[in-house]
Amino acid sequence: MNKVRLVPLVLALAGCAQVQEPAPVCNMAAINSQRQLIALPGLAPGDPSPVIEMPLNSVSIVDPKIINKVYVRQVGARRTATGTVEVTAQVINCTDFPLNAEARTQFYDQMQAPGEPVSAWKRVSLPARTSNTYRESSMGSRNAAYYMVELRETR
Amino acid sequence: MRRSLIFVAAALSLAGCNTVQNAAGTPTTYNDPGALGPVKGVGIESQDVVGMTDQMIRDMLAEPRLANAQLAPNVIIDAEYFANESTSRINKNTITDRLRVGLNRAAQGRMNFVGRHYAGMVTSERKIKRAGIADKGSLPEALAQKGGDYRLGGRITSLDSWDPKSGMMSRFTQIVFEMVDLETGEIVWTGLYDFSKSGQDAVIYR
Repeated sequence: MNKVRLVPLVLALAGCAQVQEPAPVCNMAAINSQRQLIALPGLAPGDPSPVIEMPLNSVSIVDPKIINKVYVRQVGARRTATGTVEVTAQVINCTDFPLNAEARTQFYDQMQAPGEPVSAWKRVSLPARTSNTYRESSMGSRNAAYYMVELRETR
Repeated sequence: MRRSLIFVAAALSLAGCNTVQNAAGTPTTYNDPGALGPVKGVGIESQDVVGMTDQMIRDMLAEPRLANAQLAPNVIIDAEYFANESTSRINKNTITDRLRVGLNRAAQGRMNFVGRHYAGMVTSERKIKRAGIADKGSLPEALAQKGGDYRLGGRITSLDSWDPKSGMMSRFTQIVFEMVDLETGEIVWTGLYDFSKSGQDAVIYR
């Protein structure tokens, strides 16, 4: 009799083991450990740095509300036919809920000074467990050598 | 005794009505035009105008026929052929003026901008110069006003839905921008900006 009761229990447990979490599965601890902030130069040579921040040519998640909800899978840039720079960043929503984010890009010149006005915030809609690509182009060609993308949550 | 107390209290409260309410009012605040403001509805708002024009400017500057031609083309950007067929109430010039200004500042000689909306002003000045009423100015005379190579056209359309039970309103807005070759009619560049909003707030756009 006991054996009869045990069989459905074993079967049920086996069924549970087959349920898998849908991809993407984000390991936030590993993602956060990849984040390496760099020190900005001090006010004068030899002075300690007052600020640490994300390095140029990367995506900085500026909103603590989504820093553990999204993962930037890829960020890159290419020159367009007119010489302007197009930045692309693929963002993954690691949660089971839809998320609206927005991003903007600041392009920097060779001296790492802002080369043009920062772009307007552009909306990136991220349904649950999906990715979307943010794209932004520079206005100029000579004054865009580096970039920094800022990402935050929006409604 | 009780009656006189009530009378005193009433007198004091009436006296209170006649004094200056010496307190600050609700202050007017500046908002970031590129972000959601405190008053938000389902129509086209400042953050949409800022976002769409910035996107179109950057996109046009990546189009070789506009921004990398051997001879910089003459472009006309105004609201003359930019139609609002949507249910949103908006001054179209808000969009096209911002587009022209932003593009002109960013283009840095890659395009020439023709102010066709100033054609009447230019014509009348040319007339009085040539009639000798005004002197010739310092710039050399031109045979004619500049002709346009490309002109902006476009359309704003929308799709509305409303739930009478909840009062929830939803609006999908689509804005199309196109640059048209003024000799051949060819559309040499197209940009699209769209968004969908829903809400219950009763916001009136003026």
